[in-house]
Amino acid sequence: MGRTSAYFQADWFGPAVISVLAVLVIGLIDRAFISPAALDVLILAVALNGMIVLSQMVVIAIGQMNLSVGGIGGLAAISFAGLMQVQGLPPVAAAAIALLIGVAAGLFNGWLIATTGISAFVITLASLSLFKGINLGITSAQPFYEIPAVVKAFGSEALFDMLPFLSLPTIVIAFALMVLLTRMPLGRNILAVGANPGAVALTGVSLKWTVIAAHVISGFLAAAAGVMAVARLQIGLPTIGDDWLLLSFAAPVIGGAVLSGGHVSVGATLWGVAIVAIITQALVLFKIDPYLVQAVLGLLILWAVGINRWREVRARKGEGKL
Amino acid sequence: MASFFLSNEFGLIVGICIFIAIFSWVDANFWSPFNLFVISRSAGVYALIGLSMMAVIATGGLSLAIGAIGVCAAMAFGWAIESAGLHWSASLAVALAVALALGYVNGWLVVRTGIHSFVITLATMSVFFGGMLFLSQGQSFRALPAEITEFGRLKVFSISALFLTAVAVALLLAAFYRFAALGREMLAAGACPEAAELSGVHSGRMFILCHVLSAGLAGIAALLVTARFGAAIPSMAGQLGQDWLMPGFLAPVLGGTLLSGGRVSVPGTVLGAILVTILANGLLRMSIGEFWVQAILGCLLLAAVLGDVMRKRYLAASGRA
Amino acid sequence: MFNHSAFRSILAAGVVAIASSGAIAALDTKVGIVPGGPHPYFSAWGPSGKDASRDFKLGAADYKVPAKWELGEQNLLLESMVSQGYNAFIIFPGDSVGSVSTVADLVGHGAQVIAAGGCFKDPSKALFCLGTDTGNSAYLGTKELLKVMKGSKRILHLTGFMVDPNTQLRIDGVRKAAQEGGGTVVQVIADIDAPEAAAEKIGAFMAARAGEIDGIIATAWVPAVQAANSLRKLGDKRIRMVAIDHDEVVIKAIKDGFVDGTMLQNPYGQAYVGAYALDRLRHGCTVKADAPWKSNALTARFIDSGTAYVDAAKAGNFVGAMQEITKGLLNSFEATYLNCKK
Repeated sequence: MGRTSAYFQADWFGPAVISVLAVLVIGLIDRAFISPAALDVLILAVALNGMIVLSQMVVIAIGQMNLSVGGIGGLAAISFAGLMQVQGLPPVAAAAIALLIGVAAGLFNGWLIATTGISAFVITLASLSLFKGINLGITSAQPFYEIPAVVKAFGSEALFDMLPFLSLPTIVIAFALMVLLTRMPLGRNILAVGANPGAVALTGVSLKWTVIAAHVISGFLAAAAGVMAVARLQIGLPTIGDDWLLLSFAAPVIGGAVLSGGHVSVGATLWGVAIVAIITQALVLFKIDPYLVQAVLGLLILWAVGINRWREVRARKGEGKL
Repeated sequence: MASFFLSNEFGLIVGICIFIAIFSWVDANFWSPFNLFVISRSAGVYALIGLSMMAVIATGGLSLAIGAIGVCAAMAFGWAIESAGLHWSASLAVALAVALALGYVNGWLVVRTGIHSFVITLATMSVFFGGMLFLSQGQSFRALPAEITEFGRLKVFSISALFLTAVAVALLLAAFYRFAALGREMLAAGACPEAAELSGVHSGRMFILCHVLSAGLAGIAALLVTARFGAAIPSMAGQLGQDWLMPGFLAPVLGGTLLSGGRVSVPGTVLGAILVTILANGLLRMSIGEFWVQAILGCLLLAAVLGDVMRKRYLAASGRA
Repeated sequence: MFNHSAFRSILAAGVVAIASSGAIAALDTKVGIVPGGPHPYFSAWGPSGKDASRDFKLGAADYKVPAKWELGEQNLLLESMVSQGYNAFIIFPGDSVGSVSTVADLVGHGAQVIAAGGCFKDPSKALFCLGTDTGNSAYLGTKELLKVMKGSKRILHLTGFMVDPNTQLRIDGVRKAAQEGGGTVVQVIADIDAPEAAAEKIGAFMAARAGEIDGIIATAWVPAVQAANSLRKLGDKRIRMVAIDHDEVVIKAIKDGFVDGTMLQNPYGQAYVGAYALDRLRHGCTVKADAPWKSNALTARFIDSGTAYVDAAKAGNFVGAMQEITKGLLNSFEATYLNCKK
């Protein structure tokens, strides 16, 4: 019994139940929704959006926000595509450089925040403009078209016709982050900083390096998402990343992560991403009047968040009784 | 006096002076009456958008829905004039009532559910904007009375009436936060809800009122935009009203409003909006490759923020010595 | 950076001339070519402006892009340009209604303004609109799609932002053509101008509902690209598709047979002919009131800059096709649309 209730109280349990139930119910109404091809599209969306959202989650964990996630992702995406098309670099080398750019961008954010003491919100608000500006300066808003076949295959094909290749990086990163946050000193420091930065400084943990590390990881993941977006879209568009910001916050909170830091859950976050993807795709399948899609999406997000909240409050009351 | 030199407002004034000096040195036309008019017109709107966001930041929260609320108010205004045939003054009341009601919805949801305002307004921006799209089918209202369009073009010594309106609203708002009991209670609730409760302030009610105030300011901003365009258009704040988020965050943040709540700076927000508008205008006037303008704007924003920190550190250090 | 004192003296001379003679004495035509935001559709406007500047000996014909696709950004750019001395504008309206007041500001400063690509909604101070009739282009594209579909004719329509008034015109155009041609519009998927959203929504639809449609009409750039990719991935040539614009992905899909054709617009010609017309208008010409104007849902002074349906046979040389149209438009332009003092 104790084991079951532990599951019931785990962060990811609520959103996981909602996602699975939603897929089953929608699948019952319309078989097409759970056809292998449709699930494939669903997994692809979760893989790409999941990477974006994890990039934000790491910064939420230290109690900050990274508004430049999309800026970094977009810059990495066009660097990746541009290095292959213009410089003729092999995909692996181009991806490595793109990821390095992400790390450098994260280092830039983290270093400024840690050394100046200005809030992350302000710094990343300004650096978003900077990164997006460099993107536009390099591309003049023109896409890069010549994406090698192997990159396109990576973005569209599946391992054993089951698991899209694109989901592999997200799975690896998700596990790595889980290990980092629960088992490693850096991860514990990150959560400690998020919970109470003042107390951390007293215990001898370097606040500065923890903040920098979180932003570097965030930059790396955002760049990885940018590279994945190029593979998924089969084209190096300068607009990649423009729409990431709202999503990157919506999914963790729908999944139940609090925005105040110190407490995040990789599982809950990814299930939050799944809920957003299910809602988005169900709206397409149910032929909602295009003028209504936006309103319905908002109401469904409110509903998902509400259920999660209700479960939380109930769990807390249950604890109180014990 | 020393505290004034340490304040964000002083830093912004210095920044504005520096950039004005640079831009007018590079380009004598910077001071042309038309340029003053367009700068003041944009700055007025951006200042009100910033104040609208500031009113919610006072609670320690954020509102992503200010753009959506603004568009709803503007469209309600257009509808009241064109479809309902109301006089423009009555239509203004309708528009503001719509804005205040939507603000109340936000505030009520945030307080009653205890969910972070970021999440609530993320969902409601979609609901409000989607509802507006469905009702309007994406069509604009442009048969507005001459009074409205003339107000959009009105200038006093080259300064746009939109800017003067924004300044008037800002003065009222500053007085409200400073002298009215309600305004002070809003800030107290934002600074520390528990402590405020102990001293008899109903912080939940204050949070709702902060959202209502913010929505009212967003409504005024949207009506100014409507006057400026001479039409109420669904796209005035972009998809989902997202175009208002950047100016909304930038102005209060540059102006020294604390993101954790409880401290606002009305003059700082207005000055922040002026600084950003002047930067954007000045950069566009120089013959930089236009695709690089945004990157340079980002650099200058960073420089402005960092310069402000260094100024304070220097002043604090020399003050101690 | 240009020479400011020389520039100021030109401007001053212009003001004196206006004041003394009461007529606009255009010493130099400085054309600003401004799209709604960064978008590959407009990439031809830059070189086109340079060509026009050289061929017609203009002071300048500069392509300037707002940093973001926002009405406010475009207004800021236009306002800064008019006080830098640009006196003629080719504008893609950020919003067909919302940009009208900006045109009035520019015209108030003695600038001439025309719309290109899309139109301002009447009444406006813009002299005319040189562009594509968005509703009609969607209508014609759907007609072409109906021609190539055999058997049942169930159509999926992919389009852009719902806040764009043109989107409703496109939806109406597609529906009208479908009704006339015995087809049905099964579904409209809109608001997919962001590439990630387009890939996800189109992918979701194709995975679950591909069997329920026979044809796709795309009336916005990004959806056209993503739908072409989606059909290529499915390897399905049963579903026919007509796209819009000339993205490389679309052109290649036409050559490979996954897409039947695309409704081409003529951005190069818009800027080139537009710059020519503005220069003539600054040198003694006026717009003819009784010219054979076309009209569309937005304006009664519309000039079709050329819409062409490009299929696999013409996909190899679509640039040549557009240049021919541009030449034709240019040669007859003055006689058709302008009154000029000799």
